[in-house]
Amino acid sequence: MAARPAARRVSAAELRIWLLGFILVASWFGLGYRLFHVQVVQAEEFQASGLNQRLETRTLAPNRGTIFDRNGDPVAMTVEAESIWVVPQLLEDVVYTAQSIASITGRDWEVAYQAIQRGLESGTRFVYVARQVEPVTAQAVMDLGLPGVAIIPEAKRVYPSGDVSAHVVGMVDIDGNGIEGLEIAYDEALTGTPGQMVFEEDPAGNVIPQATREVVPAVPGMDLLTTLDLSLQFTAHEACAEAVERTGAKGCWIVALHAETGEVLAMAGNPPFDPETRSGPDGAPFSNFAVRGMYEPGSTQKLITFAAAFDTGAITPSLVIGAVADRYETTAGACESATDEIYGCFSDFADHATVDMTVADIFTESSNVGTIKIQERIRAGAMLEYMNAFGYGVPTGIDYTGEARGIVNNDPGCTSCLASTAIGYNVAVTPLQIAAAYAAIANDGLWVQPRLVTSTVDMDGEVFTADPVTRQVVSQNTAWVMRQLLANVVESGTGKLASVPGYRVGGKTGTANKLDPNGGYTDETVASFVGMAPIDDPKVVIAVVIDDPAAEYRTGGSAAAPAFADVMEAALHALGVVPDAFDG
Amino acid sequence: MTTRALRVPTRREAGLRVVHGRRARRPVVTPFVVFVLILLVALFGIVFARTSLDQGAFDLAEMDRKIVAASTENAQLRLEVARLESPARVAPLAEEMGMVFPTERETVVVERIADPTAPTDPRWASIGRYAAATSEVTPEVEE
Repeated sequence: MAARPAARRVSAAELRIWLLGFILVASWFGLGYRLFHVQVVQAEEFQASGLNQRLETRTLAPNRGTIFDRNGDPVAMTVEAESIWVVPQLLEDVVYTAQSIASITGRDWEVAYQAIQRGLESGTRFVYVARQVEPVTAQAVMDLGLPGVAIIPEAKRVYPSGDVSAHVVGMVDIDGNGIEGLEIAYDEALTGTPGQMVFEEDPAGNVIPQATREVVPAVPGMDLLTTLDLSLQFTAHEACAEAVERTGAKGCWIVALHAETGEVLAMAGNPPFDPETRSGPDGAPFSNFAVRGMYEPGSTQKLITFAAAFDTGAITPSLVIGAVADRYETTAGACESATDEIYGCFSDFADHATVDMTVADIFTESSNVGTIKIQERIRAGAMLEYMNAFGYGVPTGIDYTGEARGIVNNDPGCTSCLASTAIGYNVAVTPLQIAAAYAAIANDGLWVQPRLVTSTVDMDGEVFTADPVTRQVVSQNTAWVMRQLLANVVESGTGKLASVPGYRVGGKTGTANKLDPNGGYTDETVASFVGMAPIDDPKVVIAVVIDDPAAEYRTGGSAAAPAFADVMEAALHALGVVPDAFDG
Repeated sequence: MTTRALRVPTRREAGLRVVHGRRARRPVVTPFVVFVLILLVALFGIVFARTSLDQGAFDLAEMDRKIVAASTENAQLRLEVARLESPARVAPLAEEMGMVFPTERETVVVERIADPTAPTDPRWASIGRYAAATSEVTPEVEE
């Protein structure tokens, strides 16, 4: 039997070689598999991942539209500014850095210091220390070479005429969003649409030429063409400041309307407001009493009462009202009760004997008693109908936010309310509402909705306009008669200080005691004057409202009429209205 | 031990012959060389084109920067003009120079001269005090 060949023994060295070979081959297979996976299976994923690392997307902020006055002068525009920011962790000396920056920007260094400290506490690596400074100022800061300080460009809203038109134009917040006035009323149109730029950049942040680059341009905001006349706005602004200084009043508001179109030529107020610092005197907040404030109009309301009476045929121009005393009771015994008018006792401004008075004299001398007697001749309900027609109790619909509605008291159980309403109590209006009501008389009885913007213009120059709402509130004849009565007031009545040389002016004074929050009335007054010129074909209607003038100026004729005359004269010149006459 | 002389074989016996060299010819440009040359030219062309495009991109970026800078400067200048033209600045200067609004005495009305104190519309004659003053219309007295 042949012997079996002896089994070949594998040495340990051979085993190691085989093992090593196996590992190597397995490794190659592993690498090959991985290579295949990366290059084929996951190829798209890795390509996308790599692209994402290089791709940068930047939002292109649209330029906010410019706001122009009616002559094309800018009243609000956007310019490029620089904002200074720091990486708090990189600052060598926080106090020194804050003080150095503040010494150039002129801002409070402690504000910057506190912002940096907050950044250090929260661990953020981006803290603004001065936003929206002039590019030259920002460059001066960068020239200091402070570590951890950098600048970025940022749009800034500026108002070239300062606070002159602030109450109309409003303001934006630090990020350029409208927060008041036209800036918020037309925020959507002014803002535009942001664009986007997608590009590739290297690790150092340099744009890679010829690489992916997609640009969707930003669409600039629309420009606004307002109805304001900047020169007239300045005159009104100055007139208000002068009136407040002269009369010691708390405030003054002026609204000037184009009689035929309802365009607001000027709307100014005092105290002033700075739209760039976003504050009034002593940090007072923004307000616009001309649109948002209400007051009892006093005798300026008599225009509505007389117009309603004429238009309904309750009175005629030739009517004489008999036995007009200086006191009148709508509730028996009211005048003996030692309480005020709201209980039914009405009196004229000055004591006088009981006399027969013409309708014109009642209006010219602003007799409360005579006016109430005329109101009593108007059929029931007509007074409220006419007030509604003249725009009382509802917003005018002007293109401005937060407009007040005004108040019309329609309490059928109130026995003295209509009498109060006839002389301008028990009713509240905004200066704009009363100006629009007078404009209806100026415009042959046609009420025109006031407006602040005539059109918007897009980047292609396309103009968008909207026609104002109109309605006939009284007949042309009634309007004509009322204008003659208004002229009488200025020529020989309580509004003589409202006269303008060369023009025939008409208007009505108003003096209303202010309501006491605890009931009744105080000695403080709201003095006003509303009028128009030239009276034969009025072009401009102006309302002046003075809040709480000193006692010696407590009437509309002394406090408001002079300011009216100043603004009216400027308005007539601005519109090129030919004088009624000159004496050679 | 004997010796003999070493025999030298003849040329024929060695099987050798004289070979005349061929005349030298000009080197032939082979397709491979042409291919390489074309490749080189294309390569340089691509590099040149790429460089030119990159240069163009840089020029474009520089132009964009200049446009932005010019736009910014333009906006700043428009702002400066607006501020200089603002009534708040001009009015005090005008006042210092003695400028005033023209009054009616400086205004020439060529075609129309009217008395501002007199009613310009005949309908006015029927109203209130004028009616009473002229007594053309009997006042209607309230009972």
